[in-house]
Amino acid sequence: MNTILKASVFICVCLWPTYAAVDYTKFSHSTPKHKAACNTCHKIPTKDWTKGSAFPDITDYPDHDACVSCHRAQFFRGARPPICTVCHVKTSPRDEARYAFRNPATKLQFTIEFPHDRHQDVIALRQTNPWRSKLLAHAPQQNFNNCTICHAQATTATTPPTGGWLDAYAPPAATFKAVPLDHSSCFNCHWKSQEPVAINCNGCHKLATTPYTTATVPVRISLKFMHDGGGEKKQHVAECTTCHINITKSATLRTLKPDVPITSCTECHNKDGLRQDLNTELAALDKNRAFTCVYCHTSNVGKLDAPASHYLIAQRPPLKRSAIK
Amino acid sequence: MNRRARLLLVLIALLLGLPLAIGHSQSQDAPAQQSGVVRLRARVKLNDSAPLRGLARKRFFLIPGSLEQNRALVEAIERQPLVTRDCYYTKNGASPALIAWLKEADCESVYCRDVEQDFVTGPKAVPEFATAFATSEKEFANAATARKWLTTNLSPNLRDGFYRDRKAAIDALLKQAQATSGAAVQSVMTDRNGTAFFTDLIPGTYVVTNLIPTEIGQALATWNCELQIKPDDLASEKPYLIANRKDRLVKCIAIEKPAPACQ
Repeated sequence: MNTILKASVFICVCLWPTYAAVDYTKFSHSTPKHKAACNTCHKIPTKDWTKGSAFPDITDYPDHDACVSCHRAQFFRGARPPICTVCHVKTSPRDEARYAFRNPATKLQFTIEFPHDRHQDVIALRQTNPWRSKLLAHAPQQNFNNCTICHAQATTATTPPTGGWLDAYAPPAATFKAVPLDHSSCFNCHWKSQEPVAINCNGCHKLATTPYTTATVPVRISLKFMHDGGGEKKQHVAECTTCHINITKSATLRTLKPDVPITSCTECHNKDGLRQDLNTELAALDKNRAFTCVYCHTSNVGKLDAPASHYLIAQRPPLKRSAIK
Repeated sequence: MNRRARLLLVLIALLLGLPLAIGHSQSQDAPAQQSGVVRLRARVKLNDSAPLRGLARKRFFLIPGSLEQNRALVEAIERQPLVTRDCYYTKNGASPALIAWLKEADCESVYCRDVEQDFVTGPKAVPEFATAFATSEKEFANAATARKWLTTNLSPNLRDGFYRDRKAAIDALLKQAQATSGAAVQSVMTDRNGTAFFTDLIPGTYVVTNLIPTEIGQALATWNCELQIKPDDLASEKPYLIANRKDRLVKCIAIEKPAPACQ
């Protein structure tokens, strides 16, 4: 029994710092007492939302009341209470300045649920009517809602990753599409009557198992593909689902992959009388097994074995680099 | 150290190690299995002399099993009551102006395109939009936001009731389909050219269906056809053309019924 006691004391002593030293400079939504209904602290919209937003939104941190009810002791601890730094830039009773909400320097604590399939259904037309354009040639161009409601063309180049761009290839702004960074493209439908409504934060945001940061550069197999590219005629500009073939069946963002098949590219890039970009690189690989495919890829991908799909679309048997003499 | 103490320490070690073990087992990728892809192309004609054209933005489903195995489901698909878009909106009290706005761009719901200023105020205004806009303007104190967010002040039936009714019908049929086949049903939506892809298919027999009828002119079209995926099909995309008229390459022809009169 004495040994059990000793072992328990040993474990408690080892684990004590983990549980005892609370860092009040960091706020965690995972703390059991912070898991109350969101509107206990976050009022939607923020009282003075018009000062910082064109639409009703959560634009600022909760009021002091939200914290003081439990953390009165921490609020009055010393001249510069650490707890103030969760929201405030300076710890001073005379300076109210707060970090941007939400603070971009802190890790994300919630994941986002977004069913692409359902949204695609809701905005679907009865038909993108091929007859209408013939019958109503005079009709004005309609701005149909589609993926660009949320994924507009990025207007600025992506920030380089730490250590710089691979092969010194800096993708231009036309490469990537944007993603929503605020609630404007959500609340315009889900404000108060279309569930999940604005005050039902949990309808879209789920507490992540651990805080995380998102990748600064989107993961791409073909980094050199430009969404807003395709030559002078911008032939890459098509309906998103033409290439992203699995989006319309995706009910969640979990495990969502871009899923663009090689056939989406070879419709133009490996066509008789048009272009032979794939064939050209496969032929170069035939001659030199160290050849790096660079037309679409950076070297991290271009030096790998070409996948079977590439050979099949070029009507050739799949080949490994090691088999090339 | 006695036996009980050792047991306690082992238990603690297990408890601490368990999350690591789970994390590790979940990170193991399953071995890649070769699977097939069907390139579905949906083409329709308004009449016999018109050319086949792509059927855009329509959802299709791939149900495991043969037509015979899914007979009860196919019968349920054919038996379901048919409500056209115009009948739905008329029945739910939509103004003629709103129905005309939907028709103008062939929209199923108010979410299909922007509501331009002309339809909010002035002689072309749609009464439902004008009322919702006035409420939104008071609420959001900003005309631009009020127009962009005016659907938040529309009645639920006019806002997305047609979609919800159709989704309820689809969900009921999907439940039946999954109960029959015991497997997941894939669904995809066609792009603007009428093309969509079913992916990750294993060899077997499937039923291609749209579950609820598609309005084509004055007719309602339903597709229920059998599709075989053979081991030889796994290496490449299998093209599968469906249409509402016979044609040389068409593999599946819709059954068309005249759209019922509104009740």
